[in-house]
Amino acid sequence: MSIRLLALIPVAAAISLALSAVVDAVALPLFLDTTGTILATALAGPGVGIATGVVTSAVNTLRNPTFWPFVVVQMIVALYAWVAARAGLFRSFRTAVPAGLGLGVIASVTSTPISYLVFGCTTTGGIALTTALGRALGLPPLGACFFGSFVSDFGDKAVTFALVTSVLHALPRRTAARFPWALRAIGAA
Amino acid sequence: MTGARLHPFTLLAIAGALPALAWILTAPAGAAATAAVALVLTLTPGAKLTPGASPGSKGIGISQGWRQRLVVLRTAVLTAAPFWLFLLLLHDVPTTLAIGLRITTMVASFVWLVAALEPARLVEAMVAAGWRASVAYLLAATLSAVPVLKARAQRIVEAQRCRGLSPRGGVAARLRALRALALPLVLSALHEVDERALALETRGLAPGIHRTPLAPPPDPAVERAARWVLLLACLVALTRRFM
Repeated sequence: MSIRLLALIPVAAAISLALSAVVDAVALPLFLDTTGTILATALAGPGVGIATGVVTSAVNTLRNPTFWPFVVVQMIVALYAWVAARAGLFRSFRTAVPAGLGLGVIASVTSTPISYLVFGCTTTGGIALTTALGRALGLPPLGACFFGSFVSDFGDKAVTFALVTSVLHALPRRTAARFPWALRAIGAA
Repeated sequence: MTGARLHPFTLLAIAGALPALAWILTAPAGAAATAAVALVLTLTPGAKLTPGASPGSKGIGISQGWRQRLVVLRTAVLTAAPFWLFLLLLHDVPTTLAIGLRITTMVASFVWLVAALEPARLVEAMVAAGWRASVAYLLAATLSAVPVLKARAQRIVEAQRCRGLSPRGGVAARLRALRALALPLVLSALHEVDERALALETRGLAPGIHRTPLAPPPDPAVERAARWVLLLACLVALTRRFM
């Protein structure tokens, strides 16, 4: 791994964690905590993306220990983002947003068993309340848990993909060309 | 021996073993025991949180050391409390007890870990143990970059508000505001990558290189043995649970 890619990992992980300040400012029910993982993957490939996801989870765990079991989700997000980057799905919002919605489904399928078995679906207040809503609608416990995860992940990942697409297109070509995957991710190579 | 004096790997082993045992041992008795141990750990000398982490206890007649320990305990209790509330909302009492005690163990262990573990000591310990300098760098650089980027995010929010950006209104308006706030933050962070890479190269942090630690934390044989005992205890508990 080159020095530049090594330097990218902590920056990307810090982006994931610092975006919470921006989300708070606009008061939207989003996490954006996989932005750095997806961005690092789109710029530098799956190895850097997975490392970013693991570092993000490790540092986030020091703030809230319930994040650590979800490190698997960060890895799957990185692998999915790599497939999306290979297919050039970050070339426009039209391709990126549906890809993000797809990731939302995959992320909720992955996080549901962890949330159900480890935390009884109480990872965050929002997920607990939507899970309770699912139970009130007559869903079985695991189904209600998936409903809670799905509601929180579906829109979040679509917005994250759109944000990463904006970033990749806003990067000067010369800067983007320094990262091995950036131009291919936006369909320019 | 206090938490702050233990080797960083020992602190990590304890904070990892307690939640593992909480999930392996039969609930609620096993989880209650691990939760009790974890909560007692938060009261051990040496554990202290940074001033901004939690509001301090200002009781008269309490020594500074005890005040810090009570802050750690209170942080653990306040972090775990919402989980109990949501568990009661979603589950019956026996399930709430079982999962709640396990989550309390996990939360208290990690709050204690954060209070007792100094990142700089962990990096020194990792380098001394033969880990690559780049791995130690990843952890230390992220820990130092997060507050810097958060402060920058706050400045961007204030600057954009001064320019008339309103983060209120419908979902579409908020998403537009989100883009206007997030994009400068992410782009400015990415532009730092080259500077950081240059700084790393200047300091000789080439991939695969091993560095000599300046002040490696002492790792007595008794602590190394204790870490193996913790691992063994988890394995024995796991075997007994499923056999």
